[in-house]
Amino acid sequence: MKKTNSHIISFVLDEEVISIDFSGEQALSPTTTVLNYLRSLPNHKGCKEGCAEGDCGACTVVLAKEESKKMRYWAVDACLLFLPMLHGKQLITVENLGSSTNLHPVQKAMVEKDGSQCGYCTPGFVMAMFDLYKNYSIPTNEQIDDALTGNLCRCTGYRSIVDAAQSAGAKKARDQFSEQAEVKKMLAGIHANNKKLSNGIQVYHKPSRKQSALQLIQKYPKATIVAGATDVALRVTKNHEVIPEIIDIGDIDELKAISANKNHYIIGAGASLESIKAFSKEKLPSLYKMLAVFGSKQIRQLATLGGNLGSASPIGDTTPVLIALKAIIVIGGKKGARKVPMHEFILGYRKSQCKAGELITEIHIPKSSGGAQIRSYKISKRKDLDIATVSGGFRLSLDKSNMPVELMLVYGGMAEVTKRAKKTEAFLLGKVWSRKTIEQAANLIAADFKPISDARSSARGREVMAKNLLLKFWTETNN
Amino acid sequence: MSTLEHESAKYHVTGEAVFIDDMLVNKELLHGHVVYSPHAHAKIVSYNLAEAKNVKGVHCILSYKDIPGENQMGPVIRDELVLASGKVTFIGQAIFLIAADTEEIARTAEKLITIEYKQLKPILSIVDAIKSGRLIQPKRKIENGNIKKAFNSAPNIIEGELKTGAQEQWYLETQVALAYPGEGVELLVHSSTQHPSETQAIVSEVLRIPKNEIEVQVRRMGGAFGGKETQANHVAVWASLLAFQTRRPVKIRLFRDDDQKMTGKRHPFLTYYKAAFNNKGLIMGLDLEQHTDAGAATDLTMAILERAMMHADNAYYIPNIRIMGFAWFTNLPSNTAFRGFGGPQGMACIETIIDKIARQLKKDPAEIRNINFYGGEGRSETPYGQIIEHNRLNIIEEQLMLSSRYIERRDLVKQFNEKSEFIKRGIAITPVKFGISFTTSFLNQAGALVHVYKDGTVLVNHGGTEMGQGLHTKIQQIASLEFGVSAQKIKVNATSTAKVPNTSATAASAGTDLNGMAVKDAIFKLKASIALLVAEEFNNNIPTSQPETDDEDIIFVNDNIYDIENTTRKISFEDAINLAYINQVSLSATGFYKTPDIHFDREKGKGHPYFYYSFGMAVTEIELDTLTGFFQNLRTDILHDVGESLNRRLDIGQIEGGYVQGQGWCTTEECKWDDKGNLLNHSPDTYKIPNIQDIPKDFRVQLLEDFPNSVNTIRRSKAIAEPPLMLAFSCWLAIKDAISAVGNHEIEPEFSLPATNEVILLSIDKIREQLN
Repeated sequence: MKKTNSHIISFVLDEEVISIDFSGEQALSPTTTVLNYLRSLPNHKGCKEGCAEGDCGACTVVLAKEESKKMRYWAVDACLLFLPMLHGKQLITVENLGSSTNLHPVQKAMVEKDGSQCGYCTPGFVMAMFDLYKNYSIPTNEQIDDALTGNLCRCTGYRSIVDAAQSAGAKKARDQFSEQAEVKKMLAGIHANNKKLSNGIQVYHKPSRKQSALQLIQKYPKATIVAGATDVALRVTKNHEVIPEIIDIGDIDELKAISANKNHYIIGAGASLESIKAFSKEKLPSLYKMLAVFGSKQIRQLATLGGNLGSASPIGDTTPVLIALKAIIVIGGKKGARKVPMHEFILGYRKSQCKAGELITEIHIPKSSGGAQIRSYKISKRKDLDIATVSGGFRLSLDKSNMPVELMLVYGGMAEVTKRAKKTEAFLLGKVWSRKTIEQAANLIAADFKPISDARSSARGREVMAKNLLLKFWTETNN
Repeated sequence: MSTLEHESAKYHVTGEAVFIDDMLVNKELLHGHVVYSPHAHAKIVSYNLAEAKNVKGVHCILSYKDIPGENQMGPVIRDELVLASGKVTFIGQAIFLIAADTEEIARTAEKLITIEYKQLKPILSIVDAIKSGRLIQPKRKIENGNIKKAFNSAPNIIEGELKTGAQEQWYLETQVALAYPGEGVELLVHSSTQHPSETQAIVSEVLRIPKNEIEVQVRRMGGAFGGKETQANHVAVWASLLAFQTRRPVKIRLFRDDDQKMTGKRHPFLTYYKAAFNNKGLIMGLDLEQHTDAGAATDLTMAILERAMMHADNAYYIPNIRIMGFAWFTNLPSNTAFRGFGGPQGMACIETIIDKIARQLKKDPAEIRNINFYGGEGRSETPYGQIIEHNRLNIIEEQLMLSSRYIERRDLVKQFNEKSEFIKRGIAITPVKFGISFTTSFLNQAGALVHVYKDGTVLVNHGGTEMGQGLHTKIQQIASLEFGVSAQKIKVNATSTAKVPNTSATAASAGTDLNGMAVKDAIFKLKASIALLVAEEFNNNIPTSQPETDDEDIIFVNDNIYDIENTTRKISFEDAINLAYINQVSLSATGFYKTPDIHFDREKGKGHPYFYYSFGMAVTEIELDTLTGFFQNLRTDILHDVGESLNRRLDIGQIEGGYVQGQGWCTTEECKWDDKGNLLNHSPDTYKIPNIQDIPKDFRVQLLEDFPNSVNTIRRSKAIAEPPLMLAFSCWLAIKDAISAVGNHEIEPEFSLPATNEVILLSIDKIREQLN
């Protein structure tokens, strides 16, 4: 049994327990990414850097952990992962799957179906496909596309890669990861205790309990809070920032639960977007629709709803629909928990109600919309793995004479914060929900917003998009 | 045999394939870092490196003053500085080089460098450049027939302009080089380059070292697409300068955002056009002005412009034509090669014209294309005087129209659109005719060096480079077929300037055509001397009553060597090689090839620049949400002519990959610059290449069967690589067809390239306004 130690992290790689003590480390810091760590080793160069921002998937690796007696496998982008996030997990790289003389079924399928050309993106695809292999008996085309959305290939045109995924899925066999008895033992020996990792320049706290997290956040109000780090990691990989203090709440099980009470679904702030996506498919289709085109599977398996809200981004793919759903944000702090309605939560550009010393703990979403129709929309340059150019979360209740009695038109990407189209809403209230009034109202969008021109679209383009989304909402809600 | 998998596939899928950044280097390795200009146009008034040089772990910081040789890395025209001196002319231009123990230390040092600039006015667009009047090189012209007469007698004339955008190559492996100093002035450079000989030449000139002291090696590139034809030279030269100065190995690998900001892209074009046509839609005359953004240096611009001009006709006979080509200086990174090399930009315009003619005449564009195709009496001369021989357009069109059920589906699309207001479908068929050869005729040459070892294994060296296209696999296959030994016995070596000198770039789709022939030539020589020996050996061992073996009758098949007249006389390849060794016969040979019969007179704009043409066609059907601008590629059918395919698996991979890359250029890939000259889309966060969800839901690729190349190419194959990219015009115009359906095809939609959802939605918005 390994001695527990609060300043050391331990994980399994190459069927060995690796322990890192940052205090004695020169080359590695608590914010060294798993990508850079692997590339510093002589035998894990298969993990490639293509973008260092989670948009290409060339660094995809798979993490594994025992959950209810079974190993769970999930693919993530190694460039978005800080080393301490490996604690208590198995890290699986392309080299662990097989070698050129002994290929894993997924690797074999990629060879047979010509899934590689230049080969640079290939290890990432293989690992994303390994997640697919481990999680679905025979994956559907939709599941294949979804699992591989986070991987860019510039050579093949992807058809051969889809074929490889199908072929590997259809001919499923046992592999060396079917048992993993030794690894399970190794993982069981690693303790999930509170960590304080420091190299003298940075301090990285990794509490294992919600209560410890809340205490730490009060003690270190300036600390950067991360869960999946899919946003914060870019400050390190792209801006080369040395973040002095971090509190990592990514491995607190209490924050990950998804449950329900009488009137609300209760989503833990630390629940991964991938798990919320699965949960919401039937229950909250408007939320599901946004999550289905949110980032990639690799990103959604790290990212959390609390993190997405906490970053208070002006686009915030989930913000408009959560406002339309009348979600309530639960914020924990010194004086206990307080509840903030979603529409009051965002205060400004990257500013929210969640103050220093506080932590978003839960998101409550009403089970019933009380007869209102709720829809979400996202326009982006590319349909998948892209940030919204314009997004919308709309809510409508019509009375018997087909007039709106309640209307929320919440737009993202049109202003520096997610914002309601107040003038347009006012015009539409009390008028018949008809094509004609919608088309008249659409002209008011220009009065509600003064969008910017940027890399994604011109201001004029955004205006047309916002207008069109209103019309689209009408086409889906007029009876 | 034609189903060999990629020779590196098993290394790719296991992470064993070694890219330059994966090479294990000793602790002495230093990290090279490039300090580049944040201004598009400015004078460098002063700078101070002192503080940065003092940072612990910094080994040297170089400026233009430290260059031992020429401060020049322009590959054709000497107008591109290695390091800026006195003035910067684009954002991303290298000014200083730092060698440090780690990248982090280099960045710390960079922050301590102070530079004082005096801002100058930049030129940042083609339109501004035209106003400035600053051509980067003299204008070009290609002319045929009499356009004046054609326009005077034409019943219909359309005029317009078309913008096509820049495209970032977005190779997955960014620019990278690793330079090792040896003894004396020796230098070994591992470079991710398509053109090792040019990399060697430029390192030689900049460092003032003879070429025989420099070896450039490339095992494989993680994608290139033209982006590493000349601009891989830059990092290689910078790394070499630092290695030479520090006497230690130095690696430079550009960070993704830096790569996107610093390096050139596909040339944006602005084309003004005027076309004359009769009431059937037959084109009578075409007057074109192609304007392109060269960037701040010439690089390959003039060859790219030339190819754009020579592909302005695409697959259509145009009796009277004038094409003017203008390349403009701008304060942006020098634009460079990208798959298609001007061809796509040239073709986009004529495809637009055909599409507009069809709309104006209320006909199916497929019909207008058909009547304008090259072929038939007196309809085979290109604007530059080459006659199109062995034209495959009609056979491809005939087969593809049938296999894709175009006519039936065109009708279904119409029916669908009649019933659907907001979701519209569109369909289009577009052709590609692409000239194969470098238009600079002397570049069409290649060399090879083939060794046979005593165990009967073969090592092939040739001048081409592997960037994923499968060149080495095709070469392995050619060597295996020529030697009659199994492919497992053949290894294709990393490309090295020390093995084959003075090579051309692996470009212009000609890698296999040129190097395959050179390898064949070398093997031919080896086989000739082995055959002599084997014949002698057979004859020594037969009774005098039997006829002797003639060395001309010796064949190499199935790992054996036989007398074709008497196949009981046989010796295994391995034994024959041993025999050759013992008999002191050389088992190493060089090969050489030059493409015959090609020439081009630039002054006159006439000649026979292409050895042959490659042909293909695609039908694409898409579905467009006219409210969000999202489209889904429902189905793409491609029929492409690769002659006698050397390797179907690789050829189909090239076609699919090319099409999808072309679809990216036509739709979601957009480069925008702000008014200071900063590239806004400098990472995959905002620069969107197609992903797995964007490809055709139903993707059917066929190779044209039973039409071996009519000219003598390696095993009667045809080049692949570039041409399929342009098949994506079928997707672009299918989108336009769907937009056009919003106005019931009565309003000509505004359209440009890329057709981002912004472009699509604005175009539809305009149509809707006109309808109301």
